[in-house]
Amino acid sequence: MALTLAAVARQLLARHPDACVVSSCGYPSRELYNAGDRPGNFYLVGSMGMAAPIALGIASIHPRLMVIAIDGDGSLLMNLGVLPMVAAARPRLIHVVCDNGMHESTGGQATTQRADFVALALAAGYRSAIRIEQPAELAEAEPAGTPTLLHVLTEPRRGGIGQRVQLSPRQLVERLQPALN
Amino acid sequence: MTAPTQTRTVAYDLLLTLVEAGFTLATGVPCSLLKGAFALLEEPDADLAALRYLPAPREDTALGVASGAAVAGGRAVTLMQNSGLGYCLNVLTSFNLIYDVPTLLIVSWRGHDDTDAVEHQVIGRELTNLLDLFELPYVVLDPAEARASTTAAIETMNRRQRCTALIVRDQL
Repeated sequence: MALTLAAVARQLLARHPDACVVSSCGYPSRELYNAGDRPGNFYLVGSMGMAAPIALGIASIHPRLMVIAIDGDGSLLMNLGVLPMVAAARPRLIHVVCDNGMHESTGGQATTQRADFVALALAAGYRSAIRIEQPAELAEAEPAGTPTLLHVLTEPRRGGIGQRVQLSPRQLVERLQPALN
Repeated sequence: MTAPTQTRTVAYDLLLTLVEAGFTLATGVPCSLLKGAFALLEEPDADLAALRYLPAPREDTALGVASGAAVAGGRAVTLMQNSGLGYCLNVLTSFNLIYDVPTLLIVSWRGHDDTDAVEHQVIGRELTNLLDLFELPYVVLDPAEARASTTAAIETMNRRQRCTALIVRDQL
């Protein structure tokens, strides 16, 4: 059974209940929202490519907090330059890349050729990076240090996508800060 | 390290004003007009050490990091050449201006007159029009009053709750 973005979101929330989770625009935010909305979830609705930078900014202010960024392959490819910046800052950050090889949110168009995000992250200076193809591998993943990148191979969703995030961007900001302290 | 009181520069006054206002994070991409500020960020003295500097690969990524810090309750500043403001437009319009997350921008003004290099002429001519178009307030730094200009930019940002640019026309 292959992993899905929805399953990844559910597993991350179950395994890191106290983490702040920042999700990329499009399906990553919608899947995270429908997997389990909570104040520590920060959904981007635009600014593709900015999940990791915003997660890094949050981690820089709260260095003991675990911060998770959920990217897609398309959104990380849009901003690969963030990798060395994250690596240099050494945040307590788990960078999850759900790679289905397509821009699923806009209709399944191809991204570029499949990229080896584990190699890219390690070359950029991440402390660890793990390739994950099976649900058990995600559950058992023990990164050797942060920042870490989890390159999760996912299949496209089969049923319809869940509802859009029902909170306004301003509401998301207002409820996030108390959840971080 | 030289005592700051003997080497107080416009760049030093600007950054010290930020530290005193509670800024703890600086990020951005260098510009030659801002080189004095970047030199201090890279090698801060004790009074500027509270301002952690994270070099960024591109201005929109820098703004994303500063915005994340602001969302988390911190104060962060992004330094850039005005050319980088173009890269930032998507983050400004689809993050800062809809999540209502203001951050301070320090933006150089290459091409503010027609004597600068050709690549700066278009953005230099339109810089303030671009800021006006998105209703982003700005303050042009007065080198003789660096602390007052910086404070004015911070206060404008706080009052308007919008990303505010401190525009640097003369080399720091």
